[in-house]
Amino acid sequence: MRATHESGDPGFGTPLYVAVGLLAGAIIALQITVMRIFAAGNWAHFGSFIVSVAMLGVGISSTVMCVRQPWFERHWRGVAGAALIAFGPVAAGANLGAQQVPFNAMFLIADPQQKWRLAANFGLYLLPFVTGSLFLGSVFLKARERFARVYFADLVGCGVCGLGLLGGMFLYTPEQLIQIPLFMWVAAGACWALAMRSTRLALAVAAAGALAFAIHLPLADAFDLPRLAVSDYKGVSYARRFPDSKQVYERATPFGYLEVYSSSYLHFAPGLSDNAALDLPEMPSNAYLGLYVDGDGPNGIIRELPAAQTKYFDYLPMALPFLLKDQPDVFVVQFGGGLSAAAALRKGARSVTVADSNPAVLSAFRHDAGLRGFTGDILHKPRLKTVAQDGRIHLSHGAGRYDVVDLSLADSAGLSSPGGFAIAEKYNYTREAMQVYMRGLKEGGILSVTLWNKEEPPKSVLRLYATLVEAARAMGEPDVRRCFFVTSSYLSTATVLYQRGGFGDEAIAKLQARTAALSFDEIYAPGAKYEVDPLETILAAYRAQLFGAVPKTLPHPPLPNAADTEDQASPVEDAAPAEEEAVPEDGAGADGPTPKTMPSIALARHAWQALMDGSWPALAAGYPFDLHPLSNEKPYFAAYLRPRDLPAVLDRLDLLQDEWGYLLLWATLFIACASGLLLIALPAIFGWRSLFARCPGKAGTLLYFACLGMGYIMVEVALISHFTLALSNATVSAAVLITGMLVFSGIGSLVAERHLDRARTRLPFVFATIAILLVAYGVGIDRALDWVGTLPYAWRLPCCFALIFPPAFLMGMPMPTGMTWLARLGKAPLFLWAWGVNGCMSVVGAAAVPILATSFGVGAALVAAGALYLLAVPGLFALLRPLPGGAAAVA
Amino acid sequence: MAGAAAWNPLRASTFLPFTWDLALPADDRKAFVDWMVANRLEDAKFLGQRWDRLQVMVRNKDVWEDSVKRAFLMTPRDEFVPTRNRSHAYDNNFLDIGYGVTISGPHLVGHMTSSLGVARGAKVLEIGTGSGYQSAVLAHLTDQVFSIEIIKPLAERTRGIYDGLISRGYDEFKAVTTKNADGYYGWEEHAPFDRIIVTCGIDHVPPPLLQQLKPQGAMLVPVGPPGAQRVLRIVKEQTADGGARISRSDIYNGRIVPFVPFKKLEGDKISGTHNT
Repeated sequence: MRATHESGDPGFGTPLYVAVGLLAGAIIALQITVMRIFAAGNWAHFGSFIVSVAMLGVGISSTVMCVRQPWFERHWRGVAGAALIAFGPVAAGANLGAQQVPFNAMFLIADPQQKWRLAANFGLYLLPFVTGSLFLGSVFLKARERFARVYFADLVGCGVCGLGLLGGMFLYTPEQLIQIPLFMWVAAGACWALAMRSTRLALAVAAAGALAFAIHLPLADAFDLPRLAVSDYKGVSYARRFPDSKQVYERATPFGYLEVYSSSYLHFAPGLSDNAALDLPEMPSNAYLGLYVDGDGPNGIIRELPAAQTKYFDYLPMALPFLLKDQPDVFVVQFGGGLSAAAALRKGARSVTVADSNPAVLSAFRHDAGLRGFTGDILHKPRLKTVAQDGRIHLSHGAGRYDVVDLSLADSAGLSSPGGFAIAEKYNYTREAMQVYMRGLKEGGILSVTLWNKEEPPKSVLRLYATLVEAARAMGEPDVRRCFFVTSSYLSTATVLYQRGGFGDEAIAKLQARTAALSFDEIYAPGAKYEVDPLETILAAYRAQLFGAVPKTLPHPPLPNAADTEDQASPVEDAAPAEEEAVPEDGAGADGPTPKTMPSIALARHAWQALMDGSWPALAAGYPFDLHPLSNEKPYFAAYLRPRDLPAVLDRLDLLQDEWGYLLLWATLFIACASGLLLIALPAIFGWRSLFARCPGKAGTLLYFACLGMGYIMVEVALISHFTLALSNATVSAAVLITGMLVFSGIGSLVAERHLDRARTRLPFVFATIAILLVAYGVGIDRALDWVGTLPYAWRLPCCFALIFPPAFLMGMPMPTGMTWLARLGKAPLFLWAWGVNGCMSVVGAAAVPILATSFGVGAALVAAGALYLLAVPGLFALLRPLPGGAAAVA
Repeated sequence: MAGAAAWNPLRASTFLPFTWDLALPADDRKAFVDWMVANRLEDAKFLGQRWDRLQVMVRNKDVWEDSVKRAFLMTPRDEFVPTRNRSHAYDNNFLDIGYGVTISGPHLVGHMTSSLGVARGAKVLEIGTGSGYQSAVLAHLTDQVFSIEIIKPLAERTRGIYDGLISRGYDEFKAVTTKNADGYYGWEEHAPFDRIIVTCGIDHVPPPLLQQLKPQGAMLVPVGPPGAQRVLRIVKEQTADGGARISRSDIYNGRIVPFVPFKKLEGDKISGTHNT
């Protein structure tokens, strides 16, 4: 890059472009840092707000600069310098300040203070983004006629610094991670001082750097201020409070901040049969360590139990396949804390192959002496083989056939915390994944899938059931009805067993007997009939409770059952109420019998019946929640409420407490639209007839940059979700996408500079190509990524970058072309507004993707983005309209 | 100590200790408030809120036994809520009490207490003392309440609240025996129990608690996060052959339940239609 003064102003040369790249990189690194802080300290989902906060910073800066453009143009150097110097101390101060007013979403309704805490967090974190945007905006404004070059610096800086932060996550814990954006900022300041050839600026940057690090390090220590306030309600907070709690392992990684605690107070046994208490002579004590990732958990790490306690495993749902399989070869799709692997080893498996997509977890079990000792060095057992990749991907290689494939409570924290993981992709549970597991079975092999069953009314388990049956049908099973056996424990777990080729009568009898012995509920067995309430009665009751008056088909209030009043009478006098006393004065519910089985159990039995006899679509349509099977297109358990039903439940959102993560998506979209439109409107209101009066094609220009802002971010967010399929890890996927998209777009922006003069004729073809590519990606990229996922990891990364390149390269062209032409045509007032519109609509686009993805599939977001790029074409022609009196003609 | 500020020593001599046959007015708001002010020296404002909340709970079918209604009216929930949240003590909300622990909303406490079916003299074990409010309600139903809290400072703070209230004349809280320990293992010395109520979440029902439950005894266990909890009801049934069988159900019988209302209480009425 030339070190000349291209804009006719001293300072425009390589150091300045590097400064722009580094500060843009520091901004994106700060965004990711704050996300990590939210994830480790509170609730990860609020981290996504930070994208909106950052783009709002762009919106506010551009609005202010647009309204006072001449002043900013005159003082650009001072504004940019001051904003740059302020960024570091403001970022460090805002972060420390926000940690002193921790927000807890759980009490948003109960505690009126929480909304102010949320506002304080929002306001504090907004400050550095406004400051950073002021710097970028000032430079963009000054360099507007060479916008492509400065935009290239901006995008490449973001991409490279994002990757740098990812590497930094190996070195810094979340509470110290902010030091990385601060380092980037100091480097940006140094380059700026060099560009301006100012010693005073260099000294100011050094002083500000010292101040920023002082705020984060000694000041926080001196006043005993937490740098990361971990919520009292995080799993790890409880572990830390146990009297004998001891942290036995800790490691910072991009895959999460791992901590392992030991305490005699940690107890696990997911899905343990209640009968264990009655049958076992002795329960294992101090049997578990607690594994926490980003403070969430615990996942239980089981100790190597003595041989005398082997029967303990018989009471866990993951032991069921071993009733039918002697010395099986077992594949465990997700190692987690090792419970399934330990159960398989103890139940006599000939070989156990365990996979895990989180390399940090496997590394801990392989290399840490404490964990190796506790688990009996489980990963080095002779019968156990470890696969350091996603189990779904490993099996799809066609590597081996197994007697038992186990998927037990993988990602268990997510599914046991309803509401909080509305947009988490569960690719391990999709129809395609189930087919992979089924293909990985030997003839007669058993797939065992256990899921938390803590929802009432049931939702996740019904989706799982539908997914498994769909997968079995796709496998071409001659008689699907013989292939399944399903059992559940009320408000605990549900287990589906699938046998390739179907269960024999003897096997069914064994499973039924064991289910009864464990006091589990039998949900489906080939040929079995169950006496339950009519389906329509159950569905009508659920619908009425959610959408209308409470019907009398379900007891309301619950009547004490016979056990309360007679059989269960306590030996103590007057132990239980007489039934008459339990009936409320108005008699409501008095006519409703106590159900023979719980409605959710009855519904689950009906669901299996429907899945087998083909009436499932009718059942699903009549259920108040969306029960679509999981697929690679829609890999979500959550988002059960249908968008069309939202208006009907707005006055009763309290009935949907386990959907608040999904509802928050809608709230975010609403707020993003409202704030974005306001920020776009402000300059328009003040400037439509004054500032912009001489600029023709205003509406088209607005359309152009709105489409680009929304389209670009939608592609980025949707592809992050898609690429998890091949890369197995959301963090790696985000890093690859952010880096790939921004760097390739930066290259695209640089190339666009050469074609500026032929924008009118060439850019429409670019838009058309982008649209075609995005539609093609929307329709078929999951198949391509599935294939990429089968390659060794070293090959997957270049393949992913190759897939990202075509759209990202082309999508880098329209923005700088449009911006530069605004400057060339003398439409300076529109220049900053356009930048702001782009930023504001990015917020809307980012919020829209999860809604589109959960409603129509991830591919729909890409198709929608393609449509937006086509919609930008008429905007381009409006943008290129010259000012009255003429300016340069565009070919 | 919570509640100390409300204590008026000049009126101590008039405090009427709890007995099982107290003639508590239960038909009229004013009579109830006046009676409690005169005999229990409590704040008329909180008493009014307590009465109003109970009326909504009764309409909402969260309380259906007279004994539980009386227990609710006799229990000063405001004493068990941290000072900063005291003005919200009778809102239908769970509230933060520190240490990552909440005090459940009154509707949930009422529903759980009614569903537990505690008779006088029954031996009840509570796992997770927390704020102490649940045990305080139970102390008006039976004279044998045992409560275990795992978090030591919280256990000490709540014991202090009980002791403070006892010193002010709330003799019924002498029925609450507390200890700081891991509730997972129950309380072997006092076992077996007629009823067990667990007020903290866990991924399975602790086997020691099932072992310490009497035959035909019942246990309540909340499942899920605060604000969206289901309450599992477990009954240890005696089988014909002398063995035991565990049955599970839900205290709401599968109903979709509003746990945290979006509507506010206005006087004694909830605005809106779905929660009344």
